[in-house]
Amino acid sequence: MRLLVVEDNEQLAKLLTQGLQAAGYETDVLSSFEEASMVLRTTFYAALILDLGLPDGDGLTLLREIRHRENPIPVIVITARGGLNDRVHGLRSGADDYLVKPFALEELIARLEAQLRRPGHLLGSSLRIANLEFDTRNRQASIDDQPQVLSARETAVLELLMRSKGRVVSKKQVEDHIFGHDGDVASNAIEVYVHRLRKQLSERGAKVQVHTIRGVGYLIAEEK
Amino acid sequence: MLRFKSIISRIVILHVVAVVITSIFMSLALSWLLSYATDNIHNKAMQEQAVAVAEHLTARPDGNLELNLPLDLLGLYSQPYGRYSYAVIDDRGRVLFSSLTDHVALFPSDAETGDVEFLQNRRGDATVSGASIRKTVGDKTVWIQAGEDLANRDVLIDDIVADFYRNVGWITLPILLVLLAADIAIFRRALRPLRQASEIASQIGPTRTGLRLPTEEIPREVRPLVSAVNHALDRLEEGFRIQRDFTADAAHELRTPLSILRTRLDILEDEQVGRALRQDVEGMANIISQLLDIAELDAFVVDPAEKADLRAVTAEIAEFVAPLALAQGKDIALLGEVDPVWVKGNPEMLGRAVRNLAENAINHTAPGTTVEFVVEENGTVSIFDQGPGVAEDERKLIFQRFWRRDRNKAGSTGLGLSIVQRIVELHSATITVENRLTRGAQFSIRFLAAGDATGKASGE
Repeated sequence: MRLLVVEDNEQLAKLLTQGLQAAGYETDVLSSFEEASMVLRTTFYAALILDLGLPDGDGLTLLREIRHRENPIPVIVITARGGLNDRVHGLRSGADDYLVKPFALEELIARLEAQLRRPGHLLGSSLRIANLEFDTRNRQASIDDQPQVLSARETAVLELLMRSKGRVVSKKQVEDHIFGHDGDVASNAIEVYVHRLRKQLSERGAKVQVHTIRGVGYLIAEEK
Repeated sequence: MLRFKSIISRIVILHVVAVVITSIFMSLALSWLLSYATDNIHNKAMQEQAVAVAEHLTARPDGNLELNLPLDLLGLYSQPYGRYSYAVIDDRGRVLFSSLTDHVALFPSDAETGDVEFLQNRRGDATVSGASIRKTVGDKTVWIQAGEDLANRDVLIDDIVADFYRNVGWITLPILLVLLAADIAIFRRALRPLRQASEIASQIGPTRTGLRLPTEEIPREVRPLVSAVNHALDRLEEGFRIQRDFTADAAHELRTPLSILRTRLDILEDEQVGRALRQDVEGMANIISQLLDIAELDAFVVDPAEKADLRAVTAEIAEFVAPLALAQGKDIALLGEVDPVWVKGNPEMLGRAVRNLAENAINHTAPGTTVEFVVEENGTVSIFDQGPGVAEDERKLIFQRFWRRDRNKAGSTGLGLSIVQRIVELHSATITVENRLTRGAQFSIRFLAAGDATGKASGE
């Protein structure tokens, strides 16, 4: 899978390439707005890692240009600007995710994978936490490589939690995911499903924990 | 020296003064002119009267003179009427004829005088003014004097002057008022562009430095001031830009090398060394990030029109810090209001304040306990922890930059709460620190409600 890294700092570009290659990605590196704009017109990449501060132009302009051409490529913006308005600008201009320097390589790869696993994107296969695995293609959960039978709603909740590994899923997101946007949901319905899922997982020996963060949402993590 | 605050009042006052002076001068001039004209008429009449009397003066054969006035003239000079009088005097000053009872001259006689003289003389209470002409009758030279008692005449002039003001003078007042109204109208019209410029000027602030005052319609006399203000604004904007650029440049210059360092460590083979170094880099990145936050906050100005949903901001931060807390075996809970709570402020900055309080609470709360976020309808967000609490004498210190209770404690920069403090100041909010009755501390920030600007959000 080929990624494009647009970063004008040679050292950082080289190190990112190294790190991403170790994680199994092929990468091309470009260091200018001009080149990137041209190459993106003709070449297909699985994802774009874009630095905002380029010597010959603003990364956000490039981003707008890409979106204007209706290119759906997942874009992760990396930037030294942590300013108050930069984050908002970045996401509004069409970035899928946003990392402020310095960031952990691991974090970048995790975010990248999250993007590539989104519906319609390339990384379709499996999500894993401890001994729990979830195959997003056939929506099959397995514990210690043993396929498990879960109800449709439990599977849906599990899939959402696994896709958002390491991050909190708000109750609203779970509602929308399971019932759609206009469903009339009983106030405790989500809690009931999460409770059932939690029980199923622990009874079947999954070494994961589904945390409820009161008033906020849910998070799945390895059991401690 | 009188100082007028408004140009219009200055014009009005000066105009009133000018008009008062003009009216006084006009009435004086008028009165003088009338008096002069009346004098002329009077002198002429007196001369004519003297001539008329002289015509009836004849020489008798014995050389003495004889005066035979017709009835109409006798009536004019009769004593009961008393207004006019005459006298005839010879060259030796003897009074030959006189209409006056005591048979005296009207004016002291003086042989040196010319053909016609105009004279005035006081007689008891009255002032007599008249003419004296010289005439030779037969072989005698005499002076015929005719006079009028002035007491009657002034009344007449006064009447005319008063009449003038009654019939003509009143028109000056409306003219004055019309002039003043015209002045005021002209001035207000001329000042309108200035008022518009003032309105624009009142919108200029640190959040809107791009506005400039319009110069097209400004009166030429004031334009230099407006241009000078615009130039001053240009320089201020440049100052703001430089300060913002500095923060952005500093961020870039500091974060990029750190990022390189961090990535280099991430791909390091030696896991043992890598982990320790990563922690160091993270600590440093944390300090730099907070220093940049402070630099940015120093230059930041909150747009008074901006508002934020405190509940949404707090929920976002709770989501953000939850994985961190859970990793340390601590729990997070978001309680209180579930509907939007609109407050005045920049959402990102509010988020930073809440985040710093949250991270502080997570650092201090014991494993197995919960950090609670509570948002209230009145614009208050509170963070409760179950840590050691904050001693009374430390409650001011904790907001100082780089203050730490335990200087060796990892993961604390001593900057977090000072950032919170600064954000609170920028938003005219209030922060309170208290210890809970059970265990732990409670930090509360109360922001200003967004008020009417939010419309339905807070109104219903």
